Amino acid sequence: MHIPDGILPASVCAAGYGATIPIVWYSIHKISKEGDPREKIPKASLLTAAFFVASWIHIPVPPTSVHLVLNGLLGVVLGYFAFPAILIGLFFQAVMFQHGGLTTLGVNAVVMGLPALLSYYVFRLGNILRKDNNIITGVFGFLAGFCAIGLSVCIFLPILITNIPSGFDVSTERAAIYTLALAHVPLMFIEGAFTAFVAVFLQRVRPELLVRA
Amino acid sequence: MRFGFDEYIHLGSPLHRWDPRYKLIGLLALIFAFSFVSDLRMLPAMVVVTSAAYIVSKLPVSFMLTRLRYPSFFLLAVVLLLPFLSGETIVMSIGPLDLRQEGLAAVLLIATRFLSILTIGLVLFSTAPFLTTIKAMRALHLPAILTDMALLTFRYLQEIGDYLHRMETSMRLRGFRQRRVSIHGFRILAWLGGSILVRSYERSEWVYKAMILRGYGQAESLKGEFQASYTDVFALGATLLIAAGFVVGDILI
Repeated sequence: MHIPDGILPASVCAAGYGATIPIVWYSIHKISKEGDPREKIPKASLLTAAFFVASWIHIPVPPTSVHLVLNGLLGVVLGYFAFPAILIGLFFQAVMFQHGGLTTLGVNAVVMGLPALLSYYVFRLGNILRKDNNIITGVFGFLAGFCAIGLSVCIFLPILITNIPSGFDVSTERAAIYTLALAHVPLMFIEGAFTAFVAVFLQRVRPELLVRA
Repeated sequence: MRFGFDEYIHLGSPLHRWDPRYKLIGLLALIFAFSFVSDLRMLPAMVVVTSAAYIVSKLPVSFMLTRLRYPSFFLLAVVLLLPFLSGETIVMSIGPLDLRQEGLAAVLLIATRFLSILTIGLVLFSTAPFLTTIKAMRALHLPAILTDMALLTFRYLQEIGDYLHRMETSMRLRGFRQRRVSIHGFRILAWLGGSILVRSYERSEWVYKAMILRGYGQAESLKGEFQASYTDVFALGATLLIAAGFVVGDILI
């Protein structure tokens, strides 16, 4: 779900950066309000690296295997640090593996990061019920992972398909968006289940890792 | 686990010697100018500028080819799909498939822009130590939260990558078969992900204490870290002019 360089027109790339800047500002503003941000930077950085590495785990989906996006889990663990973490992760992926792109960094950050923030809010809803219950943690973990990928797909596909410099007509574009969105539904369930399992694991082993504000 | 990032920083080309702050501004401007191009007649100029930058950087061609391995899947998909799906003017029919002119033009535009931006990106990040480039971003007033996080993430990425590798090896030694599909296996993979997070979190508590002991948080000055010469400024001016040339050229043609 990374849009590479060269595929989007400059105006869309600029709009991506235009949307990223206020979201980064909002995240930093919220982080600063929660106390000294420097204290949390090592935790957020090492967890960013850990997420980057955890996304290399192969999940078998016959006849192949998939890598997870984990943006929902990022929201569940990092809270307002999730958007900066995703921005940095995408920057490293673009520079190290040429996966994604530099001009499309803003667009990709919005595609992945905005749903991560949403999943943080979704997971926090579980706190209203009961913080330390494994079933509630699992259910809201699943919802966080499921919704994050779902929203990412909803942002990603229209941006990609309507901006390819081509002569597709409207009905072909719409059909492509619906088909590709449906193809992502299994991935939404996989991400949701993975996020739920990890959230319950963290609840048992290191509950302070989960955002509880 | 090694990323081979700083493999060619010793080559000593003019691009290696260029002040990282000016290089960042100049080459990013060029990259964005390339993304602005939508007229096929601008593509030869783009190829010439990109090739010249790569030749001047002295980076080996084999390096670029290895870096193309992953994105080549994307290029292949574009080349195979767009000419047959996009457009109305049929150039040639191959069995039931029609090769369309608009699709071919789109492929040419996307592939050239993609390869040019990727090549300039390689020149930008492979001609200076990666940490120096991030410090240059900080010197250009990128928020400290972002640059500090980027520096620390980069510092621990390889180490945490090695954790994962070791844990996967020990899981295999204990009989876990990753390719087998089951809920139990899936849950073990989730626990593997969770363990990586827990280990990193525990490590971060020590890292933070060590950073405080070394003076983290004190006012830090980057003055003197970067010093630009007239050549650096001239190179930036020339690169910005070339970038502006692409934008103006694309509008006027």
